[in-house]
Amino acid sequence: MIEARELTKRYGDLTAVDSVSFEIQRGEVVGFLGVNGAGKTTTMRMLTGFLPATDGTALIAGHDIFGEPLAARRAVGYLPEAPPLYPEMDVEGYLAYVAALKDVPRGARREAVERAVTRCGLSEVRRRVIGNLSKGFRQRVGLAQAIVHEPPVLILDEPTVGLDPTQIREIRSLIAELASPREGETQQAVILSTHILPEVEAICRRVILIHEGRKVVDGSVEALTSEYGTLDQMFARHTYAAEPTGAPAREGGAQT
Amino acid sequence: MRHLPAIAGRELRSLFVSPVAYVVLSLYAVLAGFFFLLALLQYSEWTLYLQAVGAADQLASLNLNDTLIWPFLSLMSVVLLFLVPGITMGLFASEKANGTDELLLTSPLTIWEIVLGKYLAAAGLVLLLVFLAGLFPALLFWKGDPELGKTASGLIGLALVGLGYAAVGAFASSVTRNQFIAFALSFVLLLLLWMLSVLAAIQPAMGALGGAGSWVVDLLRYLSTEEHFQRLGEGLVDTQDLAYFAVLIGVFVLLTKASVESVRWR
Repeated sequence: MIEARELTKRYGDLTAVDSVSFEIQRGEVVGFLGVNGAGKTTTMRMLTGFLPATDGTALIAGHDIFGEPLAARRAVGYLPEAPPLYPEMDVEGYLAYVAALKDVPRGARREAVERAVTRCGLSEVRRRVIGNLSKGFRQRVGLAQAIVHEPPVLILDEPTVGLDPTQIREIRSLIAELASPREGETQQAVILSTHILPEVEAICRRVILIHEGRKVVDGSVEALTSEYGTLDQMFARHTYAAEPTGAPAREGGAQT
Repeated sequence: MRHLPAIAGRELRSLFVSPVAYVVLSLYAVLAGFFFLLALLQYSEWTLYLQAVGAADQLASLNLNDTLIWPFLSLMSVVLLFLVPGITMGLFASEKANGTDELLLTSPLTIWEIVLGKYLAAAGLVLLLVFLAGLFPALLFWKGDPELGKTASGLIGLALVGLGYAAVGAFASSVTRNQFIAFALSFVLLLLLWMLSVLAAIQPAMGALGGAGSWVVDLLRYLSTEEHFQRLGEGLVDTQDLAYFAVLIGVFVLLTKASVESVRWR
């Protein structure tokens, strides 16, 4: 579903993402790990078509992000780090608007909005104005806009950041549900970035770790746990080892 | 272009949900009423004066179009200079401030759909303003007999001025994430555009630029919106003036498109 081929992003002399390749299948939930500034957001932005890659390319559901950008973007549901919400719109109106942007046929929009509202637990706030919602609900609206057109590929950038423990649990179970859907719902390939390791253990079966723009680890949670003991040790080995002081490298570099 | 209605519709709705549209519309209506009343009183005072001094031939040359409607429309175009930047300042800047530009640019849309959709929404509100202004001269047809053609061409001129200003404002909004900067930038650009003819009309300035009839003065005159609007107000519908507005709108819409697209070049 997602195939990154030597994706590279350079800003002048700074290489934010350096030749990252991976492949993600339908039904996989992949945790995209790395310290702040490792290049997670930049990689995701290249996959979604928000930023052009300096080098390399990616296929989204078989569509090249450069060759068929519109088809590739149509296949992606994307929740950026800050959910892209219009504070003055109500939840339903906003989701209907996103459905129109994502090419959901006119006749199917109402149903698509209905499904997203139900799946993300937004029924009680469906007519409320987004600007008046709590942070947890806003994050859910953000998730609802990512899945409203039932894309085969879901890209979530730190979906639980800034939420309280209850909200985090809810969002996590929602994501887990998206990858193993009920009958009649589409199975998705999910990639989510985070630096919270328990989150990865809770919902992901596979981990990709990037450090200083390079992919350093790619394997199943199971295999990595048996190899390193814990994910924490795996993370420490690959990120802090290069930095004897233990300070995260290049704070705030490419991630904006 | 099938996403155009969705984008334009959302933009218009957000203008009407936030107070922007209402503030702009009511301010414009209040000012239009005030300026129209002013123009009307001046017109009747002038008529009475000419009658009192018995200047029959001057009285005969007095007409509603040149003495009342044109000064009114001219003032209303100055008001657009202040209000159109208020309409356009949020077009692109607020998307960037909200982070919703990331939604637009990762949706299966072309840049043209985004830019034209937003421009159309702003243009719609501008045309509503011009319609409001048009109601006042329309009143004159009830009691008097202004020339229909001249009145219509003046209003078309006002609409073209507003649409040109909206294009400049859209561009200003696309280069920043801060709405105030977008407002200030478009206001300054519009003021400069408007002042070009004033500059060309000042004698010493003209002298320094090569005097009347030199190509610099002609160019300044040609670039100024005021110059073209005035001819439409006089009832002269010339393709040269229509082309000026078409080019003004076209150039700034293209610049806006390039500016929105430039995110992808970085």
